[in-house]
Amino acid sequence: MSENQRRLSIFDVMGESMDEFEAWADEVMESPFPEGPSWNDDVCCLYALCNVFVTPREVIITADLPNIEPETAKVEVDENLLEIKAQMKKKLRFADLGIYYRQGEFSSLRCQVRIPVPVNTSKMTISCRERIWEIRFPRKKRQQ
Amino acid sequence: MSESVKIVEKETVPSEATMIIGLPDVGLVGLISTSYIISELNLKEIGYMDSDLLPTVVVLHKGLPHSPLRIYGNQNLIAVISEMAIPAPSIYPIMQKIVEWAETKKVKRIISMGGIPIQNRQTITEPKVFGAASNQEQIDMLHKKGLKIMKEGYIVGPQALSMRYSSNRKLSVIALLAQSFYNYPDPEAAAMVLKELAKISEIKVDISKLLEKGEEIRLKARDIMKRTQQEMNRMKKSQEYDLPLYV
Repeated sequence: MSENQRRLSIFDVMGESMDEFEAWADEVMESPFPEGPSWNDDVCCLYALCNVFVTPREVIITADLPNIEPETAKVEVDENLLEIKAQMKKKLRFADLGIYYRQGEFSSLRCQVRIPVPVNTSKMTISCRERIWEIRFPRKKRQQ
Repeated sequence: MSESVKIVEKETVPSEATMIIGLPDVGLVGLISTSYIISELNLKEIGYMDSDLLPTVVVLHKGLPHSPLRIYGNQNLIAVISEMAIPAPSIYPIMQKIVEWAETKKVKRIISMGGIPIQNRQTITEPKVFGAASNQEQIDMLHKKGLKIMKEGYIVGPQALSMRYSSNRKLSVIALLAQSFYNYPDPEAAAMVLKELAKISEIKVDISKLLEKGEEIRLKARDIMKRTQQEMNRMKKSQEYDLPLYV
């Protein structure tokens, strides 16, 4: 009985570890462009294309934000989630793309990215060239 | 291998024409430039590709179904485009079929347009275009016309296969590759490719409209770019960043 309990507890531990591993793998493998539509008509936004690069010292996130009013762009970080939002110069409707079987219009571009490693958010730098936004964070050292 | 891919001709296909290929790839450079040529020169759909290796997709235009992989043309020009990211494993038979078909149509030469991924692309205002070719004669021609030659490096994907299969068949192939974003649509790079294309061929289009529409294209091309990126990852496209070994 006690042996069974011990076995069960080992499997439980393994099961928990596997769950943790799967959750971690999901997080790591999570694409910056999730499956599903590249738009959300509830909040009238289009999802922007973005990339995350992790270097030994920095995390660099870039986002392609065409057709926006640069002064409306907002970058927010909440724990390990970065969000970039900006208003578009001109609203885009499905009908503008020749799609008449859906209704909705989009007024903003948005990009939501999980920052994969701990970073120092207070030292975030933002730059933009040719509507490509680049956000850099120094990585936290282990003892931090 | 290429039996599973069929090219259906809807109209008479010119012989001894120039063929341009613009399949979805790095920065969608080839697709954007080829689509722009098709619309500017008002090319007609003359054929399409049918294969059970392609996803079960049709594209509706004006309510009518079309194959995503289509062939356009006029008397002197054949243009191949795909409105859909091509699954990485299907690239081999598709490129083999395109090259085989080009040979049967006695194509004068194939020009494949695309991008070379550059990490600091946003710091470059005017992307450079490099040429590569399947034989020395074409390299000399590119030189003569003032194009930069991609002397060393790796090419991965549709361009690589068009060169490989054409060399086997003694067909002339030129690849025009512009410095571009890896996975952001890059109409500026496409415009630069068209500029260089005009130097080496009769295909001349005004690129100003393309540059004007750049932001709109970037916005509309997000979905196909996203799907193309997934396929590029599968075909190990990042190998184009590698340095070749020559001792």
